[in-house]
Amino acid sequence: MSLLARNAEQLFWLARYVERATSLSRVIETHSSHGNGSTDEGTWAWLVALYSNAEPFAKQFADANFKNVIQFYVADTDNPASVRFSVKAARENARALRAVIPTDMWSQLNAFHHRLLAMKESDFDPVGVARTCGVIKVGCYAQLGVADSTLYRDEGERFFKLGLMLERADQTSRLLDVKFAQLAARPDAGGTIADTTFWALILRSAAAYQAFRRHEPRGADPARVAHFLLTNQSQPRSVAYCVNSIKNVLEDLRRIYGLRQARRALEMVHDLEAGVLAAATDTQLVARLHAINDWLQQRLIELTSELNEAFFALEEPKSAPSRQTQSQTQTQTQSTP
Amino acid sequence: MVAAAKLGTLTALKDPQQAGPFDGYDPKPYFCELLGSESQPHKDLVGVWQRLQKLDVATLLRRAADAEHELFDLGITFTVYSEKDAIDRILPFDVIPRLVRAAEWRTLESGVTQRVRALNMFLWDVYHERHILKDGIVPAELVLKNANYRPEMIGFDPPLGTYIHINGTDLVRDQRGAFHVLEDNGRSPSGVSYVVENRHMMQRSFPDLMHGLRVKSVSDYGERLRAKLIEVAPKGAASPTVVLLTPGVYNSAYFEHIFLAREMGVPLVEGRDLVVEDDHVFMRTVAGLAPVDVIYRRINDDFLDPEVFNSESTLGVAGLMRASKAGHVTLANAVGTGVADDKAVYAYVPRIIEYYLGEDPILPNVETHICGESEGLAYTIENIEKLVIKPVGESGGYGIVVGPKSSASELDVALAQLKANPANFISQPMVDLSVCPTLTRSGVAPRHVDLRPYAVTGKDTWVLPGGLTRVALKEGSIIVNSSQGGGTKDTWVLEEEAV
Repeated sequence: MSLLARNAEQLFWLARYVERATSLSRVIETHSSHGNGSTDEGTWAWLVALYSNAEPFAKQFADANFKNVIQFYVADTDNPASVRFSVKAARENARALRAVIPTDMWSQLNAFHHRLLAMKESDFDPVGVARTCGVIKVGCYAQLGVADSTLYRDEGERFFKLGLMLERADQTSRLLDVKFAQLAARPDAGGTIADTTFWALILRSAAAYQAFRRHEPRGADPARVAHFLLTNQSQPRSVAYCVNSIKNVLEDLRRIYGLRQARRALEMVHDLEAGVLAAATDTQLVARLHAINDWLQQRLIELTSELNEAFFALEEPKSAPSRQTQSQTQTQTQSTP
Repeated sequence: MVAAAKLGTLTALKDPQQAGPFDGYDPKPYFCELLGSESQPHKDLVGVWQRLQKLDVATLLRRAADAEHELFDLGITFTVYSEKDAIDRILPFDVIPRLVRAAEWRTLESGVTQRVRALNMFLWDVYHERHILKDGIVPAELVLKNANYRPEMIGFDPPLGTYIHINGTDLVRDQRGAFHVLEDNGRSPSGVSYVVENRHMMQRSFPDLMHGLRVKSVSDYGERLRAKLIEVAPKGAASPTVVLLTPGVYNSAYFEHIFLAREMGVPLVEGRDLVVEDDHVFMRTVAGLAPVDVIYRRINDDFLDPEVFNSESTLGVAGLMRASKAGHVTLANAVGTGVADDKAVYAYVPRIIEYYLGEDPILPNVETHICGESEGLAYTIENIEKLVIKPVGESGGYGIVVGPKSSASELDVALAQLKANPANFISQPMVDLSVCPTLTRSGVAPRHVDLRPYAVTGKDTWVLPGGLTRVALKEGSIIVNSSQGGGTKDTWVLEEEAV
């Protein structure tokens, strides 16, 4: 039985939204707890930069302080950039997929969504928010765990995985880009290399702290952290790992399920793979990091458009690659009547 | 315990020292689904009664709350949309099951089957030779001028002559315990998902109540439905593809659509997923267009095909009627079944059964006076304060006047309308709906119930054992609709006792 194109798209976005919610809440949880006492404590403008939301953010708030940023990125249910919006959107996709996905996947997400709806203002105040983000992160992990243990391995599961890995690659690339820009902007840029708190924050934001410690007992420096998050093949949130997963999934779609229209997307992923491979041996990676991330994010956006065209049949005009430094996070086309 | 039952009084059936939830229960003057007209349960039901009696009200309330919580998390809900919010609600669920004895069920099953058979024959006749109209059994204009009559269906032969594939028959029970048909639902009857989900919830919440009891299973509804739909697939479809067509996530019955697609193991499609090419129906899949052979559609006739019906409809699929009439796709239910489950035609169903089958109806109608006939009109005018007056051609309870509950001026208005257009009305006596013990905050109390069994027809008819028991949760109310304070119960049809 072939998968409805609409359901494929919904599986893709279900995973993307869950992954986005977990990434965002992890970054905030990390920075709102471990970040205390460090020199960057005061400003959260980097988070707005991370998701390229400067414009909509400025419309609502004058100042990127902690309270405003939390309101914008966590508490707000209508802002497409917020955690609560992402969980709501994930749940809406899951609702339309209830005849396709296991009941356990749906009911976990449904209960989780209602738990988030019932949260109070105090859950988002400076004292409560780290814990709240922790709860959200774990709720998303639970969804991905249920999916991993129960979702039937057919083409539908491949689209779920495509969404998951695409979003994750995008999130890690953004994180690297923004945090390294933050580093470079410091007045004491040269002296911060030994700032272990700073590196720990980046690594924890990518759930890579323990693994990095074991992998690099010599400790953190910019090149090691950049290489680890960009090119390490065993770190499940590295760009290299995600790109490799995307490639495998697309190959499955082409070979096992006979979906020949995966060919163009595969070519694009081979490009991505070559780019990541080149970065792995790049001795000047830190200097070129921004250009690489910029390139990566553009390729990921194009890949999403290609998937739209090849599988989901959305009549969305393919956007020309723009030259902007960071693109706003992509959201699902509103296709409900 | 069995020995105690022979003593014949309620107190003898339980430990007199122990307080039980039924101690203050008094269904009189109504017929009770557990106790009947007696003061003690029928011998087949004593066991369940005793088990219930051992649970205290606090335990019942706690388990009921857990069950409702679980229904909510499982999303066995309908959504109420306001401008800003979408609020999920469960259909209130009462944990005390309604029991149907094996002998009672045999009658209901054959009665429902007989009725569906006659209605399908009636529809064939209406859209072909019209014998029944020519013979004057049913007034021709009642059918041909009915809003639900579809001239597009004239001369069309649906596979196996089946128009109504899925039917729900609303039954009520009078003070003596006799079942009567209140209404036929031959368009798109809903509610069957609650039958199955309520059972699953009872199995989880009250394993001790069910343990060792032989209750007919309802879990195979999806498989049975799919098998029946495949029976009516167009000729030549080697392994037919069945889909369920939903208006989409905003429909109040969306949960049921999910449930049915899931239980049948078929795609849940929306209009935009389907396309008609060359009078064949296809669905859009990741691998391109895939043929569709049978559509269980949960979209009303009006919105089904903008080419033929409401041209503004974005829920349906252009060309569906062409494909259906070319015999390339089967629609279930067929278009145009609304003339058979109409309130005006309802009054004639006993005669329809006799006309086509030469049999007496196994399940009688509620006594109905057809105001389009002079006797019926005279009787209705005479007794209006005792009767329920229903406009025909309406559904959802609109325009109904309940005589005993209306003021003199309301009755005057009704009378004027009745005299102006008698053929637009039928009248029925107030039926004293039976009651079922139901959990309330202050203990177990009698509440009125009805019953909707579901019949699925392909080559022949299969009836899901039991059906949906709706219960009016407000004290004294006889309105079981969920929009007006109604809830549901699990319905247990007991297996035949081994002889």
